[in-house]
Order: sequence, then C-alpha cells, then structure tokens
Amino acid sequence: MNARISRLAIALLILYVVLFAQLNIIQVGKRSSLEADARNNRQTVRDFNEPRGDIVTSDGVVIARNEPSDDEFDWQRVYPEGDTYTPITGYFTFGFGATGVEKVANDVLAGRTTEQQITGLASLFDGGDTSGSVEVTIDSRIQEAAKAALGEREGSVVVVEPSTGAVKAMYSWPTYDTNIVATHDASLASDVFEYLDAMPGKPLLANAYQERYMPGSTFKIITTAAALDAGFITLDTTWAEESEFLPPQTDNPIGNYGGKVCGGNLVEVFRRSCNTPFARTAIALGPEVMVTAAERFGIGETIPFDLPAPASSYFGDVDYFEQNLPLLGIGGFGQGNTSMVPLHMALIAAAVANNGVMMKPYVIAETRDHDGRLLRRTAPTTWRTVMTPTTATTLRDLMVEVVRNGTARCCLQLANGIQAAAKTGTAQLNAAGEPESSHAWVVAFAPAEAPRYAIVVMLKGTTAEISAGTGGTLAGPIAKTVLDRALAL
Amino acid sequence: MSAIAERRRRTELGLVIFAGLITAGAYTLASLGKNSVIPPRILPFLALLLGVLVGAHVVMRKLAPGADSTLLPLAILLNGLGYVMIARLSDRLAGLQTTWTFVGVAAFALTLIVVRRVNDLVRFKWIFFAVGAGLLLLPVVPGLGFSSGGARIWVSVGPINFQPGEFAKLALALFFAAYLAESRELISRGTWQVGRFLLPEPRDLLPLLGAWGFSVVLMVGQKDLGSSLLFFTLFVVMVWVATEKASFMALGLAMFATSATIAYFLFDHVQTRVSIWLDPWRSYSGKGYQIAQSMFALGSGGMGGTGLGLGDPTRIPEAKNDFIFAAIGEELGLFGATAILIAFLLIIGAGLRTAMRAKRDFAKLLAVGLTTIIGVQAFIIIGGVIRVVPLTGITLPFVSYGGSSLVANYVLLALLLRISDNTAKRLGETPDQMSVAERFEAARARRASRRSTTRSSS
Repeated sequence: MNARISRLAIALLILYVVLFAQLNIIQVGKRSSLEADARNNRQTVRDFNEPRGDIVTSDGVVIARNEPSDDEFDWQRVYPEGDTYTPITGYFTFGFGATGVEKVANDVLAGRTTEQQITGLASLFDGGDTSGSVEVTIDSRIQEAAKAALGEREGSVVVVEPSTGAVKAMYSWPTYDTNIVATHDASLASDVFEYLDAMPGKPLLANAYQERYMPGSTFKIITTAAALDAGFITLDTTWAEESEFLPPQTDNPIGNYGGKVCGGNLVEVFRRSCNTPFARTAIALGPEVMVTAAERFGIGETIPFDLPAPASSYFGDVDYFEQNLPLLGIGGFGQGNTSMVPLHMALIAAAVANNGVMMKPYVIAETRDHDGRLLRRTAPTTWRTVMTPTTATTLRDLMVEVVRNGTARCCLQLANGIQAAAKTGTAQLNAAGEPESSHAWVVAFAPAEAPRYAIVVMLKGTTAEISAGTGGTLAGPIAKTVLDRALAL
Repeated sequence: MSAIAERRRRTELGLVIFAGLITAGAYTLASLGKNSVIPPRILPFLALLLGVLVGAHVVMRKLAPGADSTLLPLAILLNGLGYVMIARLSDRLAGLQTTWTFVGVAAFALTLIVVRRVNDLVRFKWIFFAVGAGLLLLPVVPGLGFSSGGARIWVSVGPINFQPGEFAKLALALFFAAYLAESRELISRGTWQVGRFLLPEPRDLLPLLGAWGFSVVLMVGQKDLGSSLLFFTLFVVMVWVATEKASFMALGLAMFATSATIAYFLFDHVQTRVSIWLDPWRSYSGKGYQIAQSMFALGSGGMGGTGLGLGDPTRIPEAKNDFIFAAIGEELGLFGATAILIAFLLIIGAGLRTAMRAKRDFAKLLAVGLTTIIGVQAFIIIGGVIRVVPLTGITLPFVSYGGSSLVANYVLLALLLRISDNTAKRLGETPDQMSVAERFEAARARRASRRSTTRSSS
C-alpha cells in the first residue's frame, strides 16, 4: 500500500502546486488589471479611511484638506476656497475618481510613495500617518484677482512666470464648487456630475488647459516669429494699404477686421492688427515653413503640463494647406481651423518674454512628507526654444507698441507706469451674414524690459456682449487688473 | 520517556512556541494596523494562548510521547492565523472562536485519553458507519436541519447549531478504514472479466455504489457540493490505496463525473456555481459578487499583502468562513497565502508519513483517510476561492471560523497523532505503557514464576 500512498502524496502535491500557480496569476499577474477595475473601490475606500495631506498655495493658503468625518468613512475632503481653485486641485471623490493635483499627486497625498513608506516605518507607533502635502505654484492673491476680474463671463485666465513656466494663476468660468462632488453621498455626487456634464461651457473640463479655441490675431505672434526667423521680413518690410487680398485657389478675398483699409511697415500692421499682411506672409512662406514653425511652437503636441489630460493646440498639416492655400492665409492670423489652448497662448507670450525659450508649465512646486521634509521640488525645464533671441526682442518691441499705440492702448496701461507688452485677438466665429460671434483674447507680459509675469485672458464668444467687443476692450482690462495685482506683490 | 520521544517532544515544544510567537505577533500587528494601538486585551490573549500551547504540549507529553512532532504546531499555527483574521474581522466572533478553540483542544485531549490504541476502534466499525451515515443525513430531517447560504448542512438541537457533516466525515473515515482493512484482500483478489477489461467483482462494487449513493444524496438533498465531493474523494482514495487497483479509482471518478454532469443539467445551483467559476464578472452584481470580491482582495494584496489590519477584507461576503483564505491573501499577500498552502502540504506530508510507517492495515488506511480529508478539503475551498475549481461552501480546516469544524479537526488531529504514537511503540522507539489489565496480568505472571522458583529451590 505504501507505493500508493507515495503516489497519493505526489497527486496532492500537484494539486497544491496548481493552487500556488493560480495564486501567482491572480496576485502578481492580474494584479494591476484587478486594481484598475472600475468596480473595485477597495483602494478608494482605503483612501477615505486614511489621512490625506493638504494642498497649499505658494503663499500658504490651504486649498484642500481632510476633516474628520463621522459617517461611514473617517475623513471628508474639504476645499476651503470653494470654486476658486477647481482647475488646480481638481476633486477627490468617492466612486468618481480624482482630477487635478488630487489625481497626479495622489501617491504623495496618500503617503504611498516609497520614501514616505520608509520614513513612515519609524512613525509606526504614533499612528503611522505617512500622508504628504503638496505646495502648488499658484499665488492665492493673483488667483483671487483673476477670479474677480473674469467674474461670471465664460473664459479663462492663466498667469505664468516666463523664466520658469510656473503657473501663478489659472482660473476659468463656468466652474463649480469641488466640495459638492466630494460628498460621500454617491447618488448626490452622481446627480451633480450628470448636471455639470450637461451644462454648456463644459465646467467639468478645466477650460484653461483642457480645451482649445480659435486664437484670432494673437496667433500673429507665431506668424511674425516664423517670418522673422526665416529672414523673410524685417522691421522695415512694408505692406500696401488695402482692405482685402485675393489669395490663390479662390475667388473669395480675405478682408481686414471690419473691412478697414490697413497697411504700412511691420510695426504699423502689427499694432493695428491688419489681417492681409499676415495672410500674405503665411502664404508666401508656404505650408512647409508655416507648419514647421507651428510645430516649433509645440502646436500639435500635448502640452507637457503636470496636471491630467492637457489638450494640444492645432494648426494643420502641409498636405492640407498645399490644397487650401487660402486657409493657410487665414490661419496666418489665427482664423479658420487654427485653435489654441489658452495655457499654450500664455506660454507663447512667456517665450517672447524669455528670449524665445518656452518653459514647461507646472503647478506642483514641491511635495513634502508628513514631517515636512522635502520629497521633490520641481526644477524648471525648457520645453522648446521657439525663436531666436533677436526675434524675441523684435517681437517684444512690436508688442510694446501694441500697448502704446495699438489695439491694447485703451486697456493695458498698468499702474505705476509699468510698461506691458501685449497682443490682442478677436477671433471671428460667424460666417458672413450670421450674427456676430467672436472670442476675445489678449496675451501680455510685464514689465516689458524685465518680464515677471505673462498672462492670457480668453473670453468665449457665447454672449452678445463679448461678441460685440474686441480682445483689447474686453480681455484687456481683465489682464490689466490681474497684472497690476501680481506686479504689486 | 525514551530519548527519541524526548527529542520529538522538545522539537514540538520549540515549534509550538514558534507558532505561538507568530500568532501573538500577528495579533498585535493586526490591531496596530487596524486601530494603531497595541491590542487592549493583549495580556488576556497571551495568557489564553499560553494556556492552549502549554496544555496541548503537556497532553502530548503525557498521552502520546512518541508521536510526530510537526502536526500539532502546524495545526496551532493555522488555528492562530485564522483566529487573528477572525478577530480582525469581528470582535464578537473572536470571542466565540476562543471558546471553540478551547473546546477543540479539550476534544483533542479527550480523544487521546479515550483512544489509547487506535486498533481498538476496529470493532466499532458498524457503529461508526451508522453514526456517520446518520450524521450526514441529519440535516435532511424536517424540523431538525436547516439551510444557510444555500446548503442544507445545519442541524439545530435546542440552542445549539452545528454542522454534522464535519463529524460524519471522521466517522466514515473510521468505517472505511476498518471495512477495507478487513476485506481489502478479498476485494483486490476478485476479478470480473468484461471483454478485455478486468473489473472488480460485482459484489465488491456494492460499497462503491453505496458511497456514490451517499454523495448523490448530499448533492441533491443538501445542495452540499463540497461535502459531496470530499466524501466521495475520500472513499475512492481509500479504496484505491487499500486494493491497489487503479480500476476502482477510474470507476469512481467516472461515476462522480457522470453524476456531476447530470446534476449540472438538472439543478440550477450547480449551473450557477459553474458559471460564476468560469466568469464571475458577468454576474458581478449577483452570484458572482463574492468571487469577484475575492479576486479584488487577492489582487490588492499582491506579493507582500496590504499588511494585517490594513486591508479591507470585510468587503468579501463570508470572509470569516469559506473565504478566509482570500482575506489572508489580501492582508498577507502571496507570501502569506503560500505559507498557508505550505502548512497544509506539511500536514499532508506528516499525515502520509504516519500512514507509511504504520504497521497495521487499519491504522495505515485510517491515516490515509484522515490526511486525505484535511488535504482535499483545504484544496476544495482554497481552489474555490481562487477559481481553480467551482466554489463549494466548505470550511478551511483549522483556519475558518466555526465550532463544528474546529472541534472535528482537532479530533482528527488527535487520531492521526495517536496512530503515530502507536507506531512509535510498535517500532520500539518508545516503551509501551501497559494498560491496567496488562499490568495485572504481568503481576500475576511474576507471582506465578516466583512461586515456581521457590518450589524448585525447596
């Protein structure tokens, strides 16, 4: 019988080896797919029962923190500033995931990075709180100013630091209070999400960096830089006074804003924002050069931002423009299919201010562990060099002229005599004969000689009031208020 | 005590203390993980733990000094880890499990006291048969049995609820061992030629048919697939080992496969079990929820586990019971779960080693049967929890919450150790202790011989 018993032992051993193999498949092989399953909220439940660190602004205002909760979970996520920082913090919800800093810095906030786990071992006996905190680059005073200045008008305001790419303010409206969706009441949160999702203006998306809009004349910065860098134009180049221009391949002429007669040297056409010179320039440079220039500016590429799901700007491709030269002309002054992410336009103004070097934008300044020890500090890095320093200087002069004598003269005269440099844009959305509809843009930086801040203000052409105005008259005053506040710091 | 016995008991003491340390450490860690405090009842817990360990060890020294030294520590380790998990899931159940552990260890001691020679049990084989069959069928009796969780395996007598199946499998293992030890020669010699095949004689097939009938009754009457499978496997394995005839094994498997297939087409609950085994995700919000949660738990455990008290095993329905393995896999990870598998493999190893060393057929077969019960039962439930086989509700020996299971398994352990101890005596490793009757007999013999000596000298 002993021979049979040996065989029985082997048979049982094989059965257990099968169990061991299956355990490996589940616990190691399928681990990540199980963790990623939407129905698996174990991680979320754990997160809601464990401490989670604060998110603070660079000037020390707490914009997200945990408060003890007496419902089924130990903690309630609270956003003390309501809807002011929605595009920055994002939300941290039960069952609907997370966005913004709450999402990208989740491991640090929840204390799950390796460093935190290791230092947490030492604090095992004082409750084992390993949660970390995140300091963002946002300055609460600039952010508040941007929110107040934009008011309840659909649009976005972004302020960046040209030399680093640090985002100092980023706000868009319509928005919502993240506290509402952070509720533990899953059905209430579900209703709120449904409502916000159906709302016009897409409040659930951070419009400032997750959407793109027709940029209008602000795009002339790119066309001008391309032409200057190609040696195709200089400050002395002049264009004939004309009200319209007939590009090849069409019978449909391209006109100036309001059908005005417009022309002169580069300074003149730039500050008055004539369209025909830039259409001519774009077509003369040709699809190849224009598309390459757009690519050099990072258009078509996802913005390397440290918040989730940034959008990419759009210009067009060579083959398409070869067949549609009029559209290349229109694209040359930011109309047609051209669309830009507001944050990206701020970066382009910042690049002009930073000698042609465009920095990678970021909002996470640094992360710290539970005891306040530094974990990571973001080092500013270059995204792209988009133009030569000479071209950057020329463009700065052109943009200063826009503020002194051009389309932004009305509205961008900063306090204390500080000189700003700017470019306005009024992106016409309606076809001929339709009711007026246009986005109002301004990009600017100040002080012009030693730039500290670059800004974009973008108002969506969804109301008659905005559509009736221009970038200079509508977006300009907002940019002035915000820059004044920032420069007073 | 002989040198060998002393060495075995010392090894056992060391291992028992080690298992106790692991249990105490795990208990403290679970509390630290869950509430960030040293458990408030740590002192009473340590006192009780020490009581169980010392008690069990003293019982072994006094009652089975020559027995295998690894079985008891392994059982204590499994019981301890199971207790830590149960205590971590529910304070109330932890208290009850403490009581059951004491009852279990008492039953362990009692079994070793009552059964001094395992061969003495052979003569009660028909009583074991009656008791086993009766216990198995008890839950079907109207008014006595009741269903819980789909299977009708519970019996309620006054205030006490218990699962008679846990004890029935012991009684039936005893019966099978006795029956087969007696008739295995006959069964294995008889052949019945059907065409080119040599089959056992029809007369010898009757017990096989009887066992199969029981398993069908369990499957149909009580919806208890797990016990049905366990019971039938037990029988087939014991017949195969006893007769050394593979045809029994093949025939048994074929019969079970047939009845399982028919059951699949006839009964909804069998179909459900199979479909959630193949794809628990499709019926996630329904019957598949438990297995899906078990998968999530194991996944979130990963290699090293979330740490004791830091996981979320309360989300698995029946985590304390059938699904305790998933809870362990979550908090102790692949490493901890593998440790449990290895513990069962070591028990199987020690059990089968005991069987191989045993000299008498009955002891040998009984050891095979008891080991098979533990090994196969653990495989069926672990395999069900991790989707190797369809899930069938059955407890994980020594680990799951439950009085019937714990007490029955401690009795099973005592019987295995008794066989091991008896073998040690037969092999001369430890001196045989004489029974009262033998001592009386020996004294009379001495007197008689002294008398004869006196006579011759005079």
